[in-house]
Amino acid sequence: MEEQLKIDFEKLLEKSNFSKKNIEIKRKNFNNFIEKGFPNKREENWKFSDLNQIISKNIKNLSFYNDLSKPNKIDQSTFIAGLEHNKLIFVNGRIEKIEFDYEEKNNIEILDDLVLKKPNNANNSLLFLNNAFVSKFFKLIVKKNYSFKKPLVIYNITNKDLVSKSINLKFDILLEENSSLKLIEFSNDKSTTNFININYNFDVQKNSILKNYKIDNNSNSNIKYYFNNISQDTNSVSEIFLLSSGSEFIKNEINCNLNGKYASAFVNGVFLLNGSKHHEIKTNINHLVENTKSYQLIKGVLEDESKAVYQGKIFVDSKAQKTDGYQLSKAILLNDNTEFNAKPELEIYADDVKCSHGSASGSLNEDSIFYLMSRGLNYKEAKKLLINGFLLDVVEKITDSEIKNLIKNIMSLKQ
Amino acid sequence: MLKIKNLKADIDSKSILNNFNLEIKPGEVHAIMGPNGSGKSTLSNILSGKKGYKVSGEVLFENKNLFELETEERAHKGIFLAFQYPLEIPGVNTNIFLKTSLNAIRKANGEKELDAIEFLKLVKLKAKNLKFDEEKLNRQLNVGFSGGEKKKNEILQMSILNPKLSILDETDSGLDIDALKTVADGVNSLRKKDNSFLIITHYQRLLDYIKPDYVHVLMNGKIIKSGGPELALELENKGYENFN
Repeated sequence: MEEQLKIDFEKLLEKSNFSKKNIEIKRKNFNNFIEKGFPNKREENWKFSDLNQIISKNIKNLSFYNDLSKPNKIDQSTFIAGLEHNKLIFVNGRIEKIEFDYEEKNNIEILDDLVLKKPNNANNSLLFLNNAFVSKFFKLIVKKNYSFKKPLVIYNITNKDLVSKSINLKFDILLEENSSLKLIEFSNDKSTTNFININYNFDVQKNSILKNYKIDNNSNSNIKYYFNNISQDTNSVSEIFLLSSGSEFIKNEINCNLNGKYASAFVNGVFLLNGSKHHEIKTNINHLVENTKSYQLIKGVLEDESKAVYQGKIFVDSKAQKTDGYQLSKAILLNDNTEFNAKPELEIYADDVKCSHGSASGSLNEDSIFYLMSRGLNYKEAKKLLINGFLLDVVEKITDSEIKNLIKNIMSLKQ
Repeated sequence: MLKIKNLKADIDSKSILNNFNLEIKPGEVHAIMGPNGSGKSTLSNILSGKKGYKVSGEVLFENKNLFELETEERAHKGIFLAFQYPLEIPGVNTNIFLKTSLNAIRKANGEKELDAIEFLKLVKLKAKNLKFDEEKLNRQLNVGFSGGEKKKNEILQMSILNPKLSILDETDSGLDIDALKTVADGVNSLRKKDNSFLIITHYQRLLDYIKPDYVHVLMNGKIIKSGGPELALELENKGYENFN
């Protein structure tokens, strides 16, 4: 693989118009990645999901150079119906459309010619890989006092033209003071066995609200890694919802720094897995100042031989008195061969805090099934109703009612 | 309607019911009384199709072999069990559950499914008759309901589904006297020439309000004596221990 990496990296530099500065940074990052390689289970963070092994098992001849010179067709049928929204459309890793039809243009700004930054986590080789291979690095600025009128959907579409290639995308999103954004990331994959590596950096300034919904629902054989870094200033709110379902492998990593007083972070997620799918959610919520709050609720329904992992960490700095931190994960295992790993971690250095965590997993309650069947529902209907009920309370946490209904529809949840 | 011949039931190779015989005709109300551990709940579980028992003998419901029917098919044919301990099912809205249940049964019987408006009209009426707080129907099934409300909810389901054979498994336990009366009224209002009841209870108290046609005494897995309503009083006076 190293040989391929080197060839593809030189090809990328040759074919692209990167600035001198960026080429320099890219070379450094490339070397860092070569040194470390894909993460494996010897690293604590990756002990439940050995990415190195997963890639070599699932992807034959992974290559890293992606020819982005020719435009791709956009399959309009992949668009979310019944929801007015702005669009950023990526097909096979290439930006195909930027459409902010509903917004005041002077209140938003998009930059794509930026100097790359050093990854803020020197242990994460995938951030180096991303820096080395990302082609355009986008930055969206939501100006002070501006609230997006309609959601922004970032479409990550792949099609059959793309096989066993790596896609690296990078976004910086800045919400200036008193602004708000509803961002939906919507994946639709028709490609096979790609490695998709996406980095988000959110800067949520004073009094701003970020709502981020990540929807991965179409069954596909891709391997994905998302790294989301969120910095929150005073009185800001971030709300994340993950529907983790479609891809063969996903690891969603969320690092959230609550830097300002009264900042709050909500991370809710659902694993809906079957076949041999293996998904992970890893969170680091860092309470760094007084009076911040975090809430995490993750639920999974696992079938066949699928596997889900939730590693949730709450860190409370010694300065962060009056922290309120909560996390709970629950899974229904529909089959003996499924696996749910939960690793809650609390690291607390302040004494006046309220933190709790919990985790539970088990099979569907047979008595409940019997109760429902005694009322005329067949096994399948009873099971569906119980699962529906199990998942509903996570989805109910979504504060935007339009998007909540959209996600309920996508998940075929009732009521 | 229901014919049980020589029913034997074991669980984990422990004999619970043995040589159990019972016949219930359309329109009849039968009460089965017995002490703890006599096999009362096993009987209701077996009739409604709960798995985990090793059974032999014959149980016919309207001349169909009950053992060949799945739990939901028994419900479709008109068997209803009011649970001794109704389950709390988080996340499942009571109204939606009731509608799903009613329509599953109607569909299986080739009847038209009720739409939301027709259903709400029906459920409102039934809830009112049972003095059941309508607002509770928008909550999660039995979650946060008091013991009495759970039992009333069973009777509400029964009155909506209008089964041919209703089995009431210790429905009176945990009810205060007012709730007991309301529940009894609900049952009595369903008494028709085609609807039968099997009432399982420890005490004759419930039978003051629901007059049975027959009373059976169940001990050690079989009926040791059958008679009219007076048998319940006799039992109450003597106690189970001295009854034999």
